[in-house]
Amino acid sequence: MPARRTPKQNHLLAALPAADLLRLMPQLEAVPLPLGALIYESDGEQGHVYFPTSGIVSLLYVMNDGASAEIAVVGNEGMVGIALFMGGGTTPSRAVVQSAGRAYRLDARRIKVEFARGGALQRLLLRYTQALITQMTQTAVCNRHHLLEQQLCRWLLLSLDRLPSSELVMTQQLIANMLGVRREGVADAAGRLQADGLISYRRGRINVLDRAKLEERVCECYAVVRRESERLFASHHAIAA
Amino acid sequence: MAAIANSLLAALPRKSYLRLLPGLIPVELGFGEVLYEPGKPIRDVYFPGQSLVSLLTLVEGHLALEVGLVGREGMVGVPLALGIGASPVRALVQGAGPALRMSAAGFRRELSRSPPLQRELYRYVHTLMAQISQTAGCNRFHVVEARLARWLLMTRDRVRSGEFRMTHEFLSHMLGVRRVGVTEAASALQRRKLIEYSRGNIKILDHRGLQQAACACYEGLKD
Repeated sequence: MPARRTPKQNHLLAALPAADLLRLMPQLEAVPLPLGALIYESDGEQGHVYFPTSGIVSLLYVMNDGASAEIAVVGNEGMVGIALFMGGGTTPSRAVVQSAGRAYRLDARRIKVEFARGGALQRLLLRYTQALITQMTQTAVCNRHHLLEQQLCRWLLLSLDRLPSSELVMTQQLIANMLGVRREGVADAAGRLQADGLISYRRGRINVLDRAKLEERVCECYAVVRRESERLFASHHAIAA
Repeated sequence: MAAIANSLLAALPRKSYLRLLPGLIPVELGFGEVLYEPGKPIRDVYFPGQSLVSLLTLVEGHLALEVGLVGREGMVGVPLALGIGASPVRALVQGAGPALRMSAAGFRRELSRSPPLQRELYRYVHTLMAQISQTAGCNRFHVVEARLARWLLMTRDRVRSGEFRMTHEFLSHMLGVRRVGVTEAASALQRRKLIEYSRGNIKILDHRGLQQAACACYEGLKD
């Protein structure tokens, strides 16, 4: 039987002291994250913050000419909508559901009030902000310095960490849009990974067959991002205290 | 009282600023000085005045890319404001000049009891994140020449001068390209009479022209 859905399936909410979570509970609204849904547009107003419990939301930087590149991914380890409590209001990025799932959302006004209280929630959100900054930084570096194949490995591993299975539903065109490269480049790189037995790729479905090998092929960027995220939760006892 | 050179501090209500003042120590940052190393504790935060600090990431131990540029509009030591005691990047002084320094302990104490300081800092963190994500996108899509133009304009805005010192090697780390790439881009801008570049000195000759040569990312960040 599938487990009951609870906000605690989001790691940030789960890391809150019981009293804080209890206070938030009535305000948290369960919503689906359908594949391809636009959570917010670049420079658009954001009405809610989202705490995913499953699925993946991709943060894309959008250029003036419409081209976009992924700068971070958010799953059940994080939240979408930092601009709301950091006081920026809007961001130059777009948030799109890359893998369908579910989330709990909180109204903009509410999160501002909660953030302004200080305490555990504020500390947790600030630390998450730092983890997200690290991910963005590493993406910028990776875009500049690493081979497309390494970038694809990074992207696959970051996605896998946020999914319950080893299968990703994803076309090559979509991956190309995420990485900000041409589809042919993704096809070549995916073809090599497939030939080496790391993944199998059929009709928009990627199955990861050998995760260990994928981790050997990936650039250091993946480990940096993962470490930062782990550090965030390793310290959550300190936060709650 | 003299004008406050750092605009983050200048935006604070007078009372909040005055309370910070005893903990702010005027220092001169020297060109090439390293304020933080990746993974090492942040001992002090810095509010630049005329100085300019680059946030650089390393790949396999080598300088790889500038991901942020901090001048009078900001603060060096943002992780501390987010509750993290170590820096993920190297902070390198790229433009010598005055700054105000505050100890990490003092800063934490003041931050916890000053909502206005929190507000200004979080807003600044947000703009820094916008800068980082834009750098990621810009690196992906734009040619070196446009990125160099953008970078020169960002530097100019922060040091408030159209003339500064900058070696090829340094620029190559900033932009994440090889030196020859920097040479080509700088020569192209020079041929168009937008800048003058000799012996590590850069002079912006045509500010408007340089804006046209820069990618649109510059417009988005100016604020």
